[in-house]
Parts: sequence; structure tokens; C-alpha cells
Amino acid sequence: MSALKLHRELAAIWATGPGVQRLAAVNHSVIGLRFMATAFVFFAIGGVLGMLTRVQLATPDSDFMDPETYNQVFTVHGSMMLFLFAIPMIEGVAVYLTPKILGTRDFAFPRLTAYGYWCYLFGGTIITLSLVFGVAPNGGWFMYTPLSSNVYTPGVNADVWLLGVTFVEISALTLAVEIVVSILKMRAPGMALDRMPIFGWYMLVTALMMVVAFPPLILGSILLETERAFGLPFFDPRRGGDPLLWQHLFWLFGHPDVYIIFLPMAGALSTIIPVFANRRLVGYRAIVVAIIALAFVSFGIWVHHMFTVGIPHLALAFFSAGSAIVAVPTAVQVFAWLATLAHGRPRWDVPMLYVFGFFFIFALGGLTGVMLAIVPFNWQAHDSYFVVAHFHYVVAGALAFPMLAAFYYWLPLLTGRTAVHRLAVPAFWLVFIGFNLTFFLMHLVGLLGMPRRIYTYPADVGWNWLNLLSSVGGFIMTIGFGLVVIDLLAQFRYGRRVRRDPWRATTFEWAMPIPPAPYAFASLPLVGTAVDDTAAGERALSLARGEGYLGFARNGWQETLGVHMTSGAPEQLIVLPRPTYLPLCTALATATAVLAMLFQFYALTLAAALLTAGLFVLAGQSAGLARDYGPLPVGHGVSVPPHTEVTGAPAWWALIFTLLADGTLFASLVFGTFYLWIAAPNWPAAATPAPDPKLALAVIVALAVATAAARGSLRALATGGSARGWIGLALLALLAAIAACVALIGGIAPPASEHALGATAAALLFYVAVHAGIGLLFLVSNLLRLGAGLVSPLRSLDLRLTRLWLDYTAMTAVVALGLVLALPLLVAMLGARP
Amino acid sequence: MSERPVPPRRLWWLLAGFGVWCSALVFLYAVHAIGCAFAWPAGALRLALGVVLLVHLIAIGWMWRDHWAASPDPGLGPTDAFLHTVIVWTLIAALVTTLLTLGPALALATCV
Repeated sequence: MSALKLHRELAAIWATGPGVQRLAAVNHSVIGLRFMATAFVFFAIGGVLGMLTRVQLATPDSDFMDPETYNQVFTVHGSMMLFLFAIPMIEGVAVYLTPKILGTRDFAFPRLTAYGYWCYLFGGTIITLSLVFGVAPNGGWFMYTPLSSNVYTPGVNADVWLLGVTFVEISALTLAVEIVVSILKMRAPGMALDRMPIFGWYMLVTALMMVVAFPPLILGSILLETERAFGLPFFDPRRGGDPLLWQHLFWLFGHPDVYIIFLPMAGALSTIIPVFANRRLVGYRAIVVAIIALAFVSFGIWVHHMFTVGIPHLALAFFSAGSAIVAVPTAVQVFAWLATLAHGRPRWDVPMLYVFGFFFIFALGGLTGVMLAIVPFNWQAHDSYFVVAHFHYVVAGALAFPMLAAFYYWLPLLTGRTAVHRLAVPAFWLVFIGFNLTFFLMHLVGLLGMPRRIYTYPADVGWNWLNLLSSVGGFIMTIGFGLVVIDLLAQFRYGRRVRRDPWRATTFEWAMPIPPAPYAFASLPLVGTAVDDTAAGERALSLARGEGYLGFARNGWQETLGVHMTSGAPEQLIVLPRPTYLPLCTALATATAVLAMLFQFYALTLAAALLTAGLFVLAGQSAGLARDYGPLPVGHGVSVPPHTEVTGAPAWWALIFTLLADGTLFASLVFGTFYLWIAAPNWPAAATPAPDPKLALAVIVALAVATAAARGSLRALATGGSARGWIGLALLALLAAIAACVALIGGIAPPASEHALGATAAALLFYVAVHAGIGLLFLVSNLLRLGAGLVSPLRSLDLRLTRLWLDYTAMTAVVALGLVLALPLLVAMLGARP
Repeated sequence: MSERPVPPRRLWWLLAGFGVWCSALVFLYAVHAIGCAFAWPAGALRLALGVVLLVHLIAIGWMWRDHWAASPDPGLGPTDAFLHTVIVWTLIAALVTTLLTLGPALALATCV
């Protein structure tokens, strides 16, 4: 088949329609670009807000902004840069590049990618509009309690942050699960883990970190919003809550988040540097070890943001030592990059300028990080501009400079042109000089005692010229970024035309048409020893002619290959869903729920949440294949079954990683319960809890029946019987479990709004009830899909997913109810302590 | 692709070493908090913390020794050799990290 004919056939299947049909796009290239473009818009808005703060602080006693406006501006600046720019930008890079670098056609769940994007856009818009209406968050980007409680922030400002950011984090979490599953199951045939481009390892570890890091903050946001909306006192010390619980939950997310931002960009650096050094990356295995170590240690040092809150020295020492030692795996990577450059024949181009900028900035940020890891210094510098300088060096070093290097490196993939040097080089130097002028001086003004978040300062404290120069530097940097934008746009029209693979790279993204076609590869590349050293550009024609795997169109299906996790051997044919408006509609329903919650229309919130759930069930009705196919040819004499007929389908793994995230949220809730028990003031409560053990037993029994019925439905399906009766039994059992949970919540003592003891018990029981409720959705979907002929003995994935969900629900219910029943004993122990 | 594939469950070992480190941190932090809240004598608290640390060190050390002694299966090809190396080094890194980050602190005053 000619390359052109194949291109036309595949494009007809994979392309997103014109006009309004663009809203139905699910293709990773389209969504990835949208993520990056939207993140860049938020970066621009956040940048303008940052400049406004510099205008305010340029001179003492400034009245450019009043204190309330300043609070909103710096809070939204920080929140926007972290939640609406940094994380979504790395998600956009991941969505756009990962399938291409790994030699596959798309991600595993395109509709989820699109849903994630719309959630991000709507959540970000809510936060941005709040600034326009003067009700933006105003308590700092980490929204500390009790400042953010409704006693001290009675308006909707904090609610905007809690709901908007949680909305955006739903997006991040869905994408994280998708990235993990896609990297593990959807690579080029033969791409064993030891042959995977290092970028894949970085993205895999980052996405796993996101799966575990986001749930504590989502839980914290839910608990704080519950306190603000319904008076459950999780963080109110007068009623048995503790403001420090918020800090723990926030920084359990917040500290790993720094590395979640850094690692993908380090992956970009590990891809770019070997190309410009003209040699393979030094220390591939050491880097894999380092990023695994970094991922774990970054979680274990969350308390280093809380050194001044009164934790005993012995415990502080754990986190201080961890904060210092985290520099080691970071250094392993830096030295690997330096060694690659030292042993190669480096050539200089614009991306390498930004790589140089990264080394300089990130090293300084890392060094001040080690300084802040040392408790006595931290106590002196805490909440001063030294910390502001430090984290700007880290974030700019970790994200901004590598990101610009990545833009200049990968933009030719879109444009077929390289940068306009006359603009790109001065733009770099303006950004670099402006950045250092702005933020280096903040170290000094911080050491001179200037605290964070003050909206002005007196003229006689010696901070004037440092602040003025910082502000001048800020404007120089902004001009630099302006030039970068002009340069990137100019590249589309005036850039130097280049051939395919302008940098002579070996990764697969350069072995495709420029700009990339919607199907990415006309046929999937083979990875093996014989082809490893072939330049990517040289493979492109062969792949375009369909000489790889799946070099044909079949049944109008969007086909790609699923592979064995470790070896990369083809094991399933994955048929992906076509463009649909469902992700947009579902995100609109979710946005309605969020907005209704914001404006306290709780009935509407419930209705929109149910609609969202219904739309997810509806989406399930168009997934999968309507009959059994058996093994289908995929090229090179290989035949594999469709993903609907294998045990390790992407959806199976997606649920496992979703449960990992869910389990982290549950563990955080259990941690919160114990934390309040051990640390919160005003415990024990006036009333002693006395949960009804019969009701608790009823919940457990009902859930056990549901799990047994789920197994029965699978057995019935396998033996040709009817699964509907078993599914009906599971439905009844779950309804009984929910009813018993509700009865337990109704009988909680002390009442949930009076003391944190009751509030935590209510939260644990509510968690069980919600999971049983989601189990109902699984069962309803099973019934619908059985009726539609989408489930068969060979295609039993639906029922297996339900079984897994119900098993998880039952196991967490045992822990949750056990803890609720143990609360009287725990309270009694408190009464007996000296 | 002629070798037998490495079973995917082997990937969990990549997380084992630092997983135990996390467990050590969580248990030490929890036992310390409980000990201070219930005013345990300093010696008893320090002993409890030492036992917790030792158990975790033994767990990582045992895993390291176990993997160090086992050679990669030649039938599983270079992927197994790669995973073997990475797993062994994550275990070594986890052992050193556990010792350095959690050990010296136990010499400090317990609840000040």
C-alpha cells in the first residue's frame, strides 16, 4: 500500500472534525496542545499578577494596591502558577509527547484525557473569574487554616480555591492514572523496560507520584469545604479539630509536587542533552534508581515546611536529614547530564542555552534548599523573602528553563522550522538576567528580615533598593518572556526550514510526519537490537508505508497495540473510542456541581453530581466491542486478541491505579483521625461515642454479600448462566449497606457539627457509603452492557472490574468501621493518660 | 523478543526498598508522637523507636541479601538483568537512606 493511500485511510478514521466538532476532540495531540496553550495563558495571567506585586513592592509605603487586593493578587499568582500552569503544563507535555516518544498512537483512555482537559479549563476559569469579580482566594496559595476557615474568611474566597483547585486536581488525577497505564501497556512492540526511552521512566514515576500525592490535598480540601459549608470542625481547635492537620495534608501533596514538576522536565533534559552531546545518556540505570529514590524521599519530607510549628526536635531531625539527603538522587541526575556532555561532542543551539540556564538556576535553588533543610537556619529564614527566592529558583530551575529548552527542541516537530536566532538568543539572556536580578536579591532582603506576604513596608528598614532592583529585574524578565513568545510565534512563519529530525535524535517522535498526523504513526515501529541505532528520521518512510505493525485500516477502528508490561511483546489489540461530546458534557455537569456548591445550592449540587455519574455510565455503553473476535492479525505474522478479550486490559490496570489513589485518600483520612486523637486540643469530647455494633456488622455483612454476588455473577457468565440475578442481589446488598451507614451517621455522638470526634466518624462512614454508591453505578452499568451484548464469557472485564471495586469497598469498610467502633476505646485511653 | 518475558509482578520490587523506608518513617513518627502524648519514659520511648528502626533495617537488609545472592535468570533476557541491577541498587539506596535519615535522630532528646 502506498504511504499516501494509507495516510488517507487512517486520517479518515483518526481525524477530529472541523468547526464545532473540535469540541468533541479526544486525540492526544489535540488535547496535549490545548493543555499547553491553556497553561500558557494561565502563565501569562499569573505572570501579570506577579508583576503587579512587584509594582506594589518596588517602593516603600506604596498605595498602588490596597491590602485586600494585594492578598488576592499574590494568592492567585501562586495558585495559578502551581495549579493552573506548572502541573497542567507538564501534563500537556506528557499527553502530547509520551505516546509519540513511546511509539504508539494515543493514550489508553482518550475520552478521559479530554474530560481532564475540560475540568482543568473550567476549574481554572472559575479561579480566574473570581479575581475579576473581586472574590478571589486571599489566604495564600497554601490556604492555611484557621485563616481560611469561615471565621476569618467568611466570603466565598476560600471556597473558590478549595472547589476550583479540587476540580483541577480531578483532571490531574485522571491524567496520572492514564499516563501510568499507557506507559506500562502501550509502547512500541519490543520496547522492553530496559529499552524504554528515559523520558518514559520519568513520566511513569511522575504519574505514580501524582496518583499518591494528590489524594491528601483532595481530602484536605473536601474536609475544609465541609467545615466551611456544614460546620464539621476538622480544623477548629475549639471543637476538637486542629489547624495543623491541614498543613500535614497540604504538604503531603505540596512537597512531592515540587518533584512532580521537576521530574518530567528532567526527563526532557535527559532526552535533549544526549542529542546535543552526540552520545548516549550516561548512567541510564543509575538515573532510574535515582528517580525512584527521589519519588519516595520527596514524600517523606513534607514536614520540612512545618519546622516552626512546634514539633519535637527528634521528629524534626527525621525530616531535616531526609531533606538534606534528597539532594543526592537529584545530584546523580545532574552529574549524569554533566558526564554526558563531558564525554560527548556538544553542539550549541538555543535549547542548550536554556539547559545552561537550568544548571545555573537549579543548582542555586538546590543549595538554598539544603540550607532550609537545616532546622536552625530554617527557623531564622522561615516565612521570609529568602524562602520566596528559594522556591522561585527551584521552580524556575525545575520547570521554566527546561520547559523553554523543550519548547525550542520540540517545536520543529509542529512547525518544521527552528528558532529565529536573532530573537531567541537575546530573549534567553533577558530572561536569565532578569530572573536572577529579581530573585537573587530576594535572598538578601529576606535575610535582612523582610517577611512574606506583606503588602507594603516602611522606608526606613533598609529594604528599598533591593526591592526596587527586584522589581526592575521582574520587568526585564517579562520583556524576555515577551520576546520568547514573539520568537516562538515567529518560528511558524520565519523560522529556518529544516528536514525531518533536525537534531538527529533517535526517539520515535521524529519518525513521523511534520506536523504529526492524528494517528501519529501510520504503522507502529518495532524495537529491537537490529534497529536500535537507526536514526528516527530514517525509519519514518518505512513506517509511513505501513511496514511496521498495524500498517492498515480495519473496520474504521482506531487501533493501537497493547504490550506486555516488561518485555513489550504485543499481547492485545486496543480499539480506542472515536471523537465524542461526552467528555465536554460530563465536565460541564461536573462544573455545574462545583458552581452549585460554591453558591450553596446543595440540591443542584447533588443533581449535577448524579448527572455526572450518569454520564460516566453512559460513556461505558459505547466502550468495547459488540461481539467476540478472537485473535486478529496486527502485522509481521502476529495475531493478538482485542483488549476486550484479555485479562490485563488497560481498564483493569486503570482501576488498580485508581484504587491506589483512592487508598491513599483513605489512608490520609485514617491518619487524620489518629492525628486529631493524639494532637488536637479539647479531646476527649463531652459526649462519649457509642456506635451501634449491630449496624456496623450489618454494613460488613451486606458488603460481604455484595462481593460474593459479584463472584457469583462472574461464575454464571463463565458457565453460560444468567448473571443478572447475582447483579440484582449485589444491588440490594449495597442498598442495605448504604442504609446501615446512613443510620450509623445519624446516630453519631457527639454530633458531627459539635466535635471533631463525631466529624471524623461521620467522614469514615460517609466514605464507605459513597463507595457502596459507586458500586451501584458499576452494577447498573453491568446490567446495561449485558443487555446491549457488550459482555460475554470471553468479554468479562466489566464484571471483573465490579468485583475488584466491591472487594476494595468491603476491605476499606472493615477498617473504617473498625476504627469507628474503636473510637470509644481510644477516647478512654486519652482520659487515662497522665 | 525470543526470551521469556519477566513477570510484571517483579516490578513491585522496584518499590520495595523505599516502601520499607516509608514504613519506617511513618511508624517512627507515629510511635514517637504516641510516646510523647502519653508521657512514656525517655528510655522506653527510645528503645521502642530503636526496635522499630532495627526491624525495618533488617527487612531491607534481608531483601538486599536475597536479591544480591540471586543472579538474573538468563532465560528472561536483558530486561531481567536490568531490573535486577535497579532493584539491588534501590535496596542499597533505601538501606543507606533509612540508616542516615532515621538513625542519628534517635540520639536526641525525645520529647523536647
